[in-house]
Amino acid sequence: MAPLLEVRDLVTAYGKIEALRGVSLAVQEGSITCLLGPNGAGKTTLMFSIAGILRPRRGSIRLGARDITGRAPHVIVAAGIALVPENRLVFANMSVLENLRAGAYQRRGGAEIESDIERLMLRFPRLRERAAQNAGTLSGGEQQMLAVARALMSRPRLLLMDEPSLGLAPLVVEEIFRIIAELHRDGTTILLVEQNAHLALQVAQHFYLIEQGKVSFSGSPGALAEDEVIRRAYLGSAAR
Amino acid sequence: MLLDLLQNTIDGAAAGASYALLAVGFTLIFGVLRRVNLSYGPAVMIGCYAATWLHLNFQSGLIVLALAAVAGTVLAGAYVERLCFAPHRSGSAIAAMVASFALWMQFEELATLVLPRHVYAFPLLHEGAPVEFLGLSLRPDALAVLGVAAILCALLQGLLHRTRFGLAVRATIENPHAASLAGIDPGRIFVLIFALASAIGGIAGFLIVATHGQVTPMLGMWATLKGLLAMMLGGLGSLRGAIVGALVLGQIEAHSQWFLGPQWRDLVAYLLLFALLAANPSWMTRWTISRSAS
Repeated sequence: MAPLLEVRDLVTAYGKIEALRGVSLAVQEGSITCLLGPNGAGKTTLMFSIAGILRPRRGSIRLGARDITGRAPHVIVAAGIALVPENRLVFANMSVLENLRAGAYQRRGGAEIESDIERLMLRFPRLRERAAQNAGTLSGGEQQMLAVARALMSRPRLLLMDEPSLGLAPLVVEEIFRIIAELHRDGTTILLVEQNAHLALQVAQHFYLIEQGKVSFSGSPGALAEDEVIRRAYLGSAAR
Repeated sequence: MLLDLLQNTIDGAAAGASYALLAVGFTLIFGVLRRVNLSYGPAVMIGCYAATWLHLNFQSGLIVLALAAVAGTVLAGAYVERLCFAPHRSGSAIAAMVASFALWMQFEELATLVLPRHVYAFPLLHEGAPVEFLGLSLRPDALAVLGVAAILCALLQGLLHRTRFGLAVRATIENPHAASLAGIDPGRIFVLIFALASAIGGIAGFLIVATHGQVTPMLGMWATLKGLLAMMLGGLGSLRGAIVGALVLGQIEAHSQWFLGPQWRDLVAYLLLFALLAANPSWMTRWTISRSAS
């Protein structure tokens, strides 16, 4: 089966420094794929390159049959990829409801958008309680849920999630991962960057270990090498 | 005495209304781009010169002159946006500001090349004497300026808070990166806001020259100063603040001119801004346009 997302030999650089040095990976439709690796390995750079915030120097990114390499972020959203960024980036001075409507900016048809909002409010009851509140007044966990809900408002074919558990209390992290599992059950394809390798490997069907801008290992959780992968995800291979 | 106070207040409100439109245009550009556009006033001046040129050569009616002022300002604004702001979108704010200063000089030169006299007469919005009412003299054209400004500000508020475009504008003001991740094209929003701000400036410019009855190349500097001053008095970056700042500026000018004399008029306004910043240095960093209507 052809993958939904296919990244080939991707090179992205900040000036002279190549943060990605030829990354290739594939995400199957309906799966959760996770990216593991130590800080600074290039995981966020990869997410930004796929979402169009960074322009890759070489290589290609395909979504289904379409080449989206180097396109602008709003074009990539329209093509069907939504990124939940690492620090959530909710519109702090706008209400929760307005944040959700902004997420649907590319879509037409107000009635359908409103019914999607209604459905997301059922999934995220906390957002309903706070619908009229400014997003900046929400707790970290609530902002994370809002960021996920806002991304879902574009009805993406692929959801990119960058460190959704970052800086959240353990109970909230549990809730976020429960939501990720739910989204997966409903058929959403997810590419997940996560520092907490234990948690990530529990939900993912496939993982890639990224070290120093390259994929150093990939496979399915449950394989023999899992302990080694987790060790390297935290420490990097340099600590060997 | 009381009558004088009342009369000053009315005059100040009319002046404040025209400042409000300038300040709103400034604030839109500053709010979205986080850049100061020194060429905002000079672009307005170019629009007014275009209208004056039509008036001198074709004796066009007021409606045509108003449209010409708006079209001229939007064109000049587009030129400023392409040259000063599009290249420095993610780069230096200072570079953009300095570039906009250079275009200011260009605009003044252009204006004096096409219409070389220092002052040109502009047809008045309303000919004839002010209406006397309970001892007050009311100028119908000043009332018209107040009305137009109020309607435009209300429309703008509605546009920003009740439409899809407004949602995109406010999202872009909050965070251009996050907006683009939501599927909004910030570059397009920047250009549209620049055009909108220029159109508002064009209307403001037309109303100002059609109540003063004259056009000079100094209009550019005058409009930039009044707009900036009102925007700063209102706390930089909030539309409501800019409108309040402009109305306050109008009042200060009208009253200080009456009580202290015309040479004090501008000084008092600058002193007030100075006092405000000395007493409350964070004054200019606490507001944003994107805030939800509540």
